[in-house]
Amino acid sequence: MLLSVEGVSKHFGGLTALDEVSLSVEAGQIFGLIGPNGSGKTTLVNIISGFLRPNGGRIVFDGQPIQGLEPYQIARRGLCRTFQITLNPARMTVMENMLLGPRTQRGESIWRAAFEPWAVRKDEAAHLERAWKLLEMVNLHHHADEYAGSLSGGQKKLLALVQILMAGPRLILLDEPVAGVNPRLIEDIVQLILRLKRDGQNFLIVEHNMQVVRQLCDAICVLDMGRVLAQGAPEEVLARDDVLRAYIAAGGQVGEQAG
Amino acid sequence: MIAFLVYLFTIIGIYGLMSLSLSLQYGTTGLVNLGEVGFFMVGAYVSAIMVMLGGLPIGVGLLGAIAAGAVFGVLMALPIGDLRQDYWAIVTLAAAEIARLIFLNTNLGSPYVGASYGVAGIPAPWQQHFSTAAYGYVYLGLVAVCVACAYALVRWVGRTPYGRLLKAIRESDEVALALGKDVRRARIWAMALGGGIAGLAGGLFAHFNGFIGPDYFMPLETFLVWAMVILGGSGNHLGALVGTAVIEAIYNSTRFLDISQAHASLVASLRMVLIGVLIILVILYLPRGLVPEGRRRYGGSRAAQR
Repeated sequence: MLLSVEGVSKHFGGLTALDEVSLSVEAGQIFGLIGPNGSGKTTLVNIISGFLRPNGGRIVFDGQPIQGLEPYQIARRGLCRTFQITLNPARMTVMENMLLGPRTQRGESIWRAAFEPWAVRKDEAAHLERAWKLLEMVNLHHHADEYAGSLSGGQKKLLALVQILMAGPRLILLDEPVAGVNPRLIEDIVQLILRLKRDGQNFLIVEHNMQVVRQLCDAICVLDMGRVLAQGAPEEVLARDDVLRAYIAAGGQVGEQAG
Repeated sequence: MIAFLVYLFTIIGIYGLMSLSLSLQYGTTGLVNLGEVGFFMVGAYVSAIMVMLGGLPIGVGLLGAIAAGAVFGVLMALPIGDLRQDYWAIVTLAAAEIARLIFLNTNLGSPYVGASYGVAGIPAPWQQHFSTAAYGYVYLGLVAVCVACAYALVRWVGRTPYGRLLKAIRESDEVALALGKDVRRARIWAMALGGGIAGLAGGLFAHFNGFIGPDYFMPLETFLVWAMVILGGSGNHLGALVGTAVIEAIYNSTRFLDISQAHASLVASLRMVLIGVLIILVILYLPRGLVPEGRRRYGGSRAAQR
């Protein structure tokens, strides 16, 4: 098992955002985390990635407990996340964003940058080569020297995704990879994720778009009001009445977004 | 006139070091450091004390000023390394004021460091070998060498992967954390590097001016340095130096005006008004400053790989 969340709870004052949530992500699959707005998905992602501390429970990644670690320590163990609103450094170029990706770079220590300049230069050349390949894969190579802030919404999502790939993580947490992206580009992103999965990349995806969830996910978990409502294969889970009701109660998003 | 220009350029050089320091910390890293003058003061006092009490050569005093500025930077950053910009603003402002109040209220058990009376008679390096007129050029040369070294240092930092990480922290520390970067450590190092540069500025100022006192290191000095960096172009180190030259030129220009004693303080205040208006105009019409931040281009490296 790659990632297991065991009985994680989170309270904000009197509000219970997560109540004893447990789920497990197997290697080799795309795991979907869905649920209506306010069901606790983003809170859970923030807890798994270390940006929030849980009030209770355990998180085990790759056989090691990771709850309570700093976000960067979790990322260094190979669990990297993207953000719902792409926060990519806007006043850095696309290529600078890419070169930021690799997790531990010798040149990011000022001493090693000063005293091992040749090793740092070699690292940079290798990263640059890989970055060009990934940018070509997502058709962003013509934009390499543009500021990331000047890209379209969909291109920003793609950049965030290939930037994370530069880090070479075992598991990628994608927080709403297609939200706000135009439909043509959605298909590109879906195909890219499927291709990466075939190459052995593991994903945990938070997504609202049911069409995309059906296309991508091998297993899903539905959160509602901070609890796990259902877990299993997408066709079965999405056919369940209580899942449907949870969505309708939250504003009928299944009807809207299932397409 | 020429003596005045030598003086002016020396002052521009000394403040230029502070601008480079803030340019690295705020322009590159996004750290809202409102305690910039603290480095300057600590550097000035440490160099003066080492030379006058310790009997050490002035060169050693200046190295001490660099070290003291760096240590002060680390001390400021340690408690706030993980926090947001607003916390940085209040903590750095307070830290510099606390340090100033300490120097204001203690003479550190010595006759030299005279609390509110300041420290007088700070020696200047190699002064006995030159005439007073020639010495101005010598000191200007020393300051110029320091500025050149500091400029080379911050430019070099900007081209390392560490410098790229600093920029990423400025833009979004969450992304840097999500990519496994030790953001806190990188911030602390930025404070140490910038602190060392500004500490050197303080040491150079102490030996240039011959006198330092707690009144010299009010928070207003920090805001002048901020004005220099914003005017010149936040994120561009050359811009920081340009901004320093402009602000210092305005600040010192009034001495050529023929004004009576009665109006002197009014004119002194008007200088600050003029600087304020200039800042507003720059923010409105040149939001990225006189010399905007450049970007590093990689386009050529793709062709090279085919």
